[in-house]
Amino acid sequence: MELILAIGIGILFATGIFQLLRRNIIRSAIGLVILMNAVNLFLLGTGAYVGGEPAYISSVAGVRSDALPQALILTAIVISMGGAAFVLSMLYIISSRYKTSDLDEVDGLKH
Amino acid sequence: MLHDNLTVLPILIPLTGAMITLMLRQTQRLQAGCALGSMILSLAASAWLTGAVWQGAQPIVFHSGGWSPPFGITLVGDLLSAVFVLMSQLVLTTGIIYAIGSKDAVVKYPTFYPLFLMLATSLTGAILTGDLFNMYVFAELMVISGTVLTAVSDDRYGTEAAYKYFYISLTASFFMLFAIGSLYVCYGTLNMADLAERIPLDGGQPLLLPGIGFLMATFMVKSAVFPFHFWQPDFHTAAPTSVSAMLSSVVVKLGVYGFLRMTTLLFVLQAPVIRWILVVLGVAGVIFGGLSAVGTHNAKRMLAYSTLAQIGFILIGIGWGTPLAIAAAIVFAFNHSLVKAAMLMLAGYVASRAPVKSAAFDIVTGVGKSTPAAGALFLIGSLGLAGIPPTNGFISKMMLFHSGIDAAEFGALLLMGIGSLLTLVYTNRAFQRIWWQRPHENTRAKPTGDHLLAPVILIVLVLILGLWAEPLVQVARETSLWLDSPGLYIQAVLGG
Repeated sequence: MELILAIGIGILFATGIFQLLRRNIIRSAIGLVILMNAVNLFLLGTGAYVGGEPAYISSVAGVRSDALPQALILTAIVISMGGAAFVLSMLYIISSRYKTSDLDEVDGLKH
Repeated sequence: MLHDNLTVLPILIPLTGAMITLMLRQTQRLQAGCALGSMILSLAASAWLTGAVWQGAQPIVFHSGGWSPPFGITLVGDLLSAVFVLMSQLVLTTGIIYAIGSKDAVVKYPTFYPLFLMLATSLTGAILTGDLFNMYVFAELMVISGTVLTAVSDDRYGTEAAYKYFYISLTASFFMLFAIGSLYVCYGTLNMADLAERIPLDGGQPLLLPGIGFLMATFMVKSAVFPFHFWQPDFHTAAPTSVSAMLSSVVVKLGVYGFLRMTTLLFVLQAPVIRWILVVLGVAGVIFGGLSAVGTHNAKRMLAYSTLAQIGFILIGIGWGTPLAIAAAIVFAFNHSLVKAAMLMLAGYVASRAPVKSAAFDIVTGVGKSTPAAGALFLIGSLGLAGIPPTNGFISKMMLFHSGIDAAEFGALLLMGIGSLLTLVYTNRAFQRIWWQRPHENTRAKPTGDHLLAPVILIVLVLILGLWAEPLVQVARETSLWLDSPGLYIQAVLGG
């Protein structure tokens, strides 16, 4: 379980970074969202000392995951959701102004 | 106890003010007055906090919700955070004064003042908090309020600059979360004092180094250190004047604060490597920022690049790491905030007098002819940036060079000298273009512009701190002594 989780987070992180560096403005915004999920899963992983155990109750007495990272993730999810919404709304303004999705053509600041 | 609650006041007052001004958005003058009032109150509170910490000679710690550390969130007002909070609130207050006297359309935006106060809240909170995750939350709040304030700017490219900044900052925030996760999985705590106690006991954890690396990357993006700076000139140029003066002076200081905490509290054992990196990047920033500032065609952009160079000077001070160098870095940070805010406000003032609202040299050439007073202020400010006597810039540069000579870092000193000369070159070129050269044939300056009260206050402070520097220098030296013994901080937070 731990191995699958670790590999999954690694793949998500790599995909996120790769998409983040794309020239297409929408792809790069989606890369940000993927990266966000990778981070949240990583935080989840820090609390799960024993694989798939839940935070408070489990079948075996005394064995449970750490609850704090889950609280951290809750905060992080809310913040990054707001961030993603804001990124998408600004992306909408920019793409309607320049009529393009290629970041190289969004060059108003160069002048 | 009132005494402990002092650390909450500088966060709570602007937060309350933001909520009240949000309700007052129908009545603009009342809203502006309320924003100014709450900012002045909070400035008074932070001055009180600094005074109380100085008098009591020990950190003031507030356990939120009564939870004892390391379980609850603690707010720690030690001398370093108190000085940084005082500096931030001082500059933010003048920012509100400038915004009230400003002719920008953006200050009529109904949520301008609430966002401005949120910026103050989050900056203060990020500095005062003693918990890494709490710092992440406040830093994120700061990024969002700064971005929105820029996105609604009068500049038509404001949205693009804001997008660029937000995009990079969001990535940096994810890096900070990675750092938080890495440190948590190694040490099982996020309280900075608790971390500082546990890290030296068990320095071999596999995720410690990635955690340090991610945290460094975050702070470097936050304060636009050389290879992480590409968003900064655009963002600081496109922001409304009153906001860009804040972004370029106090908001970038969060990264500086973070590095001070990293090298003196969190990662004391790993500090030599961090310091070495800071010195290298600082020197690169000094040279690169100076050369870029010389090459720009816009007064605001020039000052944004100048911030890059000045942050480089501060990082070099932190990087040398001797008590004198750290004191110099603190004095430098304080003085740079005042000077840079004043200079950006003056550049914005000139832009508001120009026929087209822009600070590009082609447009503002000769615009200053009719305002010799602003010219005099700009000249004093440029002396302050370059570090020439009656200004506070001289004090900070002198302390920094003195510490460099003590540490026998002559190569870096030479490059810093070149960087200082570049400062003189670009500020004086801007002064000549705006106040000496003849305006173009059909250029006519507008009769009125923004109000000059805010830059006057800042320049007066620049002169006062230049002529009567002992109190600040003394506080900075005491701060560096506190930072030299992290046990003081740890004991104040964790008790016993």
